[in-house]
Amino acid sequence: MDLTATQQDEAFRARARDWLCANRPAEPAPYDGPVSRTYATDWLARCHKGGWSGLAWPEAYGGQGLPPARLMLWYEEYVRARAPSTLDCTFVALNHAGPTLIARGTDAQKAFHLPRILGGRSIWCQGFSEPGAGSDLAALRATGRVEGDELVVNGQKIWSSYADIADYQELLIRTDPGASRHHGLSWVICDMSLPGITVRPIKNIAGVTHFAEVFYDNVRIPLTEVVGDLNDGWSVAMTTLAFERRTAALALQVELSVKVEDLIRLADAPAGSATSARLSDLRAEAAALRAMTWRTALREPDTPFDGSLVRLAFAELAQEIHRAAMDILGPAALADPRWSHDYLESFSETIAGGTAEIQRNIIAERILAMPREPRA
Amino acid sequence: MSFDLTPSDDLRQILDAAQTMLDTHYPVARLRDGSDDSLAALDEFGAFDLARPDTEGGAGFTLVEEAHLHVALGRHLAPPAALATAIARRIDPTATAALGFSQEDAWLWLPQPDTAQALIRVGNGLTLAPAKATETTPALGGTYAFAKAPPSQNARRADAATHLVAQVLTSAQLLGVAIGARDLALAYARDREQFGRPIASFQAIKHRAADMSIGIEKVSALLDMAAIATRDASPDAGFLCSALARLAPRTTVETARGAIQIHGGIGFSAEADAHLFLKRAHILRAFLGPDDMLEHKAPLAPY
Repeated sequence: MDLTATQQDEAFRARARDWLCANRPAEPAPYDGPVSRTYATDWLARCHKGGWSGLAWPEAYGGQGLPPARLMLWYEEYVRARAPSTLDCTFVALNHAGPTLIARGTDAQKAFHLPRILGGRSIWCQGFSEPGAGSDLAALRATGRVEGDELVVNGQKIWSSYADIADYQELLIRTDPGASRHHGLSWVICDMSLPGITVRPIKNIAGVTHFAEVFYDNVRIPLTEVVGDLNDGWSVAMTTLAFERRTAALALQVELSVKVEDLIRLADAPAGSATSARLSDLRAEAAALRAMTWRTALREPDTPFDGSLVRLAFAELAQEIHRAAMDILGPAALADPRWSHDYLESFSETIAGGTAEIQRNIIAERILAMPREPRA
Repeated sequence: MSFDLTPSDDLRQILDAAQTMLDTHYPVARLRDGSDDSLAALDEFGAFDLARPDTEGGAGFTLVEEAHLHVALGRHLAPPAALATAIARRIDPTATAALGFSQEDAWLWLPQPDTAQALIRVGNGLTLAPAKATETTPALGGTYAFAKAPPSQNARRADAATHLVAQVLTSAQLLGVAIGARDLALAYARDREQFGRPIASFQAIKHRAADMSIGIEKVSALLDMAAIATRDASPDAGFLCSALARLAPRTTVETARGAIQIHGGIGFSAEADAHLFLKRAHILRAFLGPDDMLEHKAPLAPY
């Protein structure tokens, strides 16, 4: 076991650091709306031009084909440079849709979409959850009826982040009405400009409108937009979620170490105080999350892996750090978006992408092999 | 190869052999009758010289392999002197030492039949000294008996590098204790039926077990990183060992408490083994001493 950087690794790290210091945006990222899209796509395009996008994507698809350790070195320099959060409107394209297309897409789908994604020219949103299908995703009811060489889509999706500014959506729908639950679903590329699509933005508790409901009224999508086979969408969706649980959050996880350092500096707690003990705990927790992140990144790609442990560790630490900031910094935190906005946003961490309760069930049943509860 | 966290074949073989030795000589059940716990089988295995160069009579492995061995020792609640001896050999290559800590003006240690020395935690330092008890004190419900004496003048202090080794190995044992407690609770929960089903099928039990496992995974990942950094004398070693020393005892004490709760009534009885894990967690926490988490420069500190 080894974590030694070679001379070439150190040179890579120095190049990343220099480039980030020279190129990171001076202004903080806007939270929502068209300005947030312009900001995020400008930044991604600049990264792309500088050779810093798609670091772990295969070279055949415009990526750099770098090993996971280099990706981690990049992310550590990225968060240390306070570069914009990777959880912006480019996140779904870069971390869900792109990798899913690489794994399961047709040559035509890859050739069209992957260069647009890496260059910051197309934004994607997710269309998985529905009002009646949250934790129980397989209960989803939006339908796609095959008519000739098209799917006719009807139904509703919700919690679709950046649907109001996205070009495409990874849309999971029921295409075989006779099949039940996990069967008969399809993963479809949905062009958000198609007739019949209505987007209703939803404001969240942080006062930000980055997610939305999407309504589909006889939306006609060519069958060539199905990714994987028709009615095999559950397995494609699991591919998508595997990326989410494995690599998508690497940068966000190490970013918490930086957040804790910022809080320690701001709090300036006297040695031996209860506050300094709390900050010590957070610093140790962030160090452990960073170690888990390296372990996740360096794991052999084909070994079975369940990301629920690290996912939940991340979610709860993100909340703890922001709660501590609100407790420790007092009134100063209320109007400081770096703390109060992020505090309010952090409530989503134990809800989005599988609630903490569902993650605990998954850990208990899949990792610890505890008996399943009877299900309806 | 750089950047590789996969356990080597060497490490797997060491752990396989250690498992056989521990199952034979140190099953947890041995502690129920309070019999004397000899270090002989561990000594014969080479447990105390694993990381010493083979040119100096050691096995030529490193702190990383040794840390994983101590996780296995923790799971079996191996004699506390095994931990003290492994650390003490960094001060004196032939030492065998009991494990102890200071309390006001006295030293307390867990007597070990194989030795008349003790490795004592004093504040944030470690001291190796001859130890001759003037009295004994029962502790933790009589599961332990501390030998007690005034501090010895004839003591050798551990250096800074040994201090880091002590944080790594003690935390490794704490991790093993947590895994052992969690697994004991899981085995009980699968077996125990109420309302016509194993209690392991209830979310209230599952979520507790999941939280234990998250804590264990955190400490395990941090242990690997800290052991590697300490082995390689990396600039981050002090930070990582402090983080480990802060997290490991809290995780293990919480896990062992939870294991008693999952056992229900039998967990409160001395006939179940759950209390042994809790008590060992407290002993190791006392030996680990304070961390200085905020004193170090963080690896991801601003430029």
